[in-house]
Amino acid sequence: MTCGPSSRPVAEPAASPRERRPRRGEGVWYPRWFWPLFATPGIIWLAVLFVVPFYVVLSIAFGTFDQIFRNPVPIWNPAQWYTGTFGKVIGQIFGRGAFLSAPFVRTFVYVAAASALCILISYPVSYYVARYAGRRKGILLVLLIAPFWISYMMRMLAWVNLLQGDGLVNRSLTSLHLVARPVDWLGGNALTVILGLVYGYIPYMILPLFAGLDRIDPNLLEASRDLGASRVRTFLRVTLPMSKQAILAGMVIVSLPMFGDYFTNDLLSGAPRTSMIGNLIDDAVTTPGQGTNGAVLVLILMIILILPMFYYVYSTAKATKERAA
Amino acid sequence: MRHPRERGILSGPLSRRDFIKRSAGTAFALSGAAAILEACGKGTPITPTSTGFPLARPNQPVKWPIFGDNVPIADGLPPEQNATLKVYNWSDYIYKKVLKDFQRKYRQYGVKTELSTFNNTDEALAKIRSGQVDFDIFFPTVDLLGKLIEFKFIRPLNHTYIPNIQNVWSELQDPFYDQGWQYTVPYVVYTTGIAWRTDHVKDDISAMPNPYDIFWNTTYKGKVEVLDDYRETMSMVLLRNQIYDVNTGNPKHLALVKDQLLQLAQATNPIVNVQDYVDLPEAKTWINEAWSGDMVNAQYYGPKGFDPGVIRYWAQPVHAPVNNDLIVILKAGKNPVMSHLFLNYMLDFNNSMENFSWVGYQPPQTAVTADLLVKQQLIPPNLKTAVVDESIWKTGARELELSPSVDSAWHDVWTQFKAGG
Repeated sequence: MTCGPSSRPVAEPAASPRERRPRRGEGVWYPRWFWPLFATPGIIWLAVLFVVPFYVVLSIAFGTFDQIFRNPVPIWNPAQWYTGTFGKVIGQIFGRGAFLSAPFVRTFVYVAAASALCILISYPVSYYVARYAGRRKGILLVLLIAPFWISYMMRMLAWVNLLQGDGLVNRSLTSLHLVARPVDWLGGNALTVILGLVYGYIPYMILPLFAGLDRIDPNLLEASRDLGASRVRTFLRVTLPMSKQAILAGMVIVSLPMFGDYFTNDLLSGAPRTSMIGNLIDDAVTTPGQGTNGAVLVLILMIILILPMFYYVYSTAKATKERAA
Repeated sequence: MRHPRERGILSGPLSRRDFIKRSAGTAFALSGAAAILEACGKGTPITPTSTGFPLARPNQPVKWPIFGDNVPIADGLPPEQNATLKVYNWSDYIYKKVLKDFQRKYRQYGVKTELSTFNNTDEALAKIRSGQVDFDIFFPTVDLLGKLIEFKFIRPLNHTYIPNIQNVWSELQDPFYDQGWQYTVPYVVYTTGIAWRTDHVKDDISAMPNPYDIFWNTTYKGKVEVLDDYRETMSMVLLRNQIYDVNTGNPKHLALVKDQLLQLAQATNPIVNVQDYVDLPEAKTWINEAWSGDMVNAQYYGPKGFDPGVIRYWAQPVHAPVNNDLIVILKAGKNPVMSHLFLNYMLDFNNSMENFSWVGYQPPQTAVTADLLVKQQLIPPNLKTAVVDESIWKTGARELELSPSVDSAWHDVWTQFKAGG
């Protein structure tokens, strides 16, 4: 676009849209660069906070390390990149005797389980708030995002206290005779890590789901009922398909940070048998001489995560096109 | 009894050795920033081939050179007037009262102290290398010494200002890592051993034929913790197998360590962190690989009603892993004379004991004995074994700097363990 929104297209079939210009007195004329200028902060933001840091990670992954101070030494020129570390780490993940495959598989299992739980818990909540909360919608939304007011670390530390051997959870379970002896929640328990991930990230799932469900036109649901569909059928044939994009958005928003999460496992388990990729990356970047390995792990994780991201982008584009049609 | 230390679980993770657990993003940002600085030509040029520095060992002591452009200060200089002595130390590793007392002692010179802290040596070195800080005093580990001296980050000492060196163990008056104590004075010493709770563990671990076997005992699955420190925990496995060279590069030794660490993960699913002084008194764990200084501190971290008398600590009498930290004077500091006075002050018996009462890590003072510390109620009688005896020190196993290739081999084993097998 070269014109502002107030400049109506002029009926000159011979001219392409690019060549159209508002005539004098027809509306406000904007210079060609005016509207693209609005994208500048976003582009600068993206360049400074994503493109440049990403190139730094790339240069570290294909760099070497200073043998005296054990810091990574990036190689900026791609033509000179050293691929030895990348090959070594790939071998540790996929090669014979690979030992890094276990945390990768574990991470995928944990994230899949935690994301599924997030949906199962947050969908009914969001559905209720969007459709039935009425005037209480505002206050309920505030309550749903209330956990954001407390830092993630504080919330996890609270769970450490609650889940201890003599913590509130174990005391409740034993006093209700649901378990014979206190459950060892914090002794390297995979379930604890998964539940911790769910607890930590579920608000990120609720909000996009609520937004998606709230946008569904109630007339469509009424039409479905008027045409004889039951409540369940209306939900399955109308509500659920129409909330697919919100579910996908929520999945992307919760699962991406979960893949890089290391803090939850550190606080709620700390055992190697529940280590996730994030823990290995954290270990590597904070250990002298291992920064290059950490950068390679980041890249590999990124490559793996690009696939579902592409699916999300494709799916969103498809849905937009369908709506437009 | 209430510990004067104010550190808590939220006051910056916990112990000076709690190097870990920083945001990966932040770490990468820092790494990237460091890299960019290097690319811009700032900082010290690097040699990407080999360290080129001698690796100090007890049987291969090192006498570092004194460079022509970095010589000790002259004798008898007056202390700097109105100096701000900048102290750069680990988090929670010096008692602030000691710093204030130092100011009071030298108030006629108008000295002030300013404490800055770091969380790991990487961070500290990056700052020192940047050349943009003028800290006077630094508390490094032994493995940093070669870099600090060869790159002239620290000053050689003038011994005439530090007569209190006579208070420390004779071996540390001429340590193998700095023959003639040209650049360093010792700060604190510690052992690494096994700590456990007698109310949960019925085995007398210290009486077992091989106490380290307790970590593999499936009875205690989920209640075992080892240190998140590749040197310490891998050395523990070496010692379990009577391999006393805890700096070994022997592939067979490392393969053995790897196998046994993987067995350990299967057997007891141990927690790996550096919160021994919190987790044991809170009974989150019952058996810990632990630092002696942390066990001295553990008595103050239990829940209400906790009885410190249930904690036991064992370090093997011979070949126990032992280590010490140092105090050095940075060349970039503006107050070299006052810095010398500070080193002397920290080696004073009373001052070092006051510092010990808060830090929990023991100064290598000849006058310190387990009985004295019990008598002064600084440690409970059941933790007398956490006091480092000079004889344990002399026969101890030192975890020292490794060559890059050996260090990389150690890391490969450790990563495999941390990955969960």
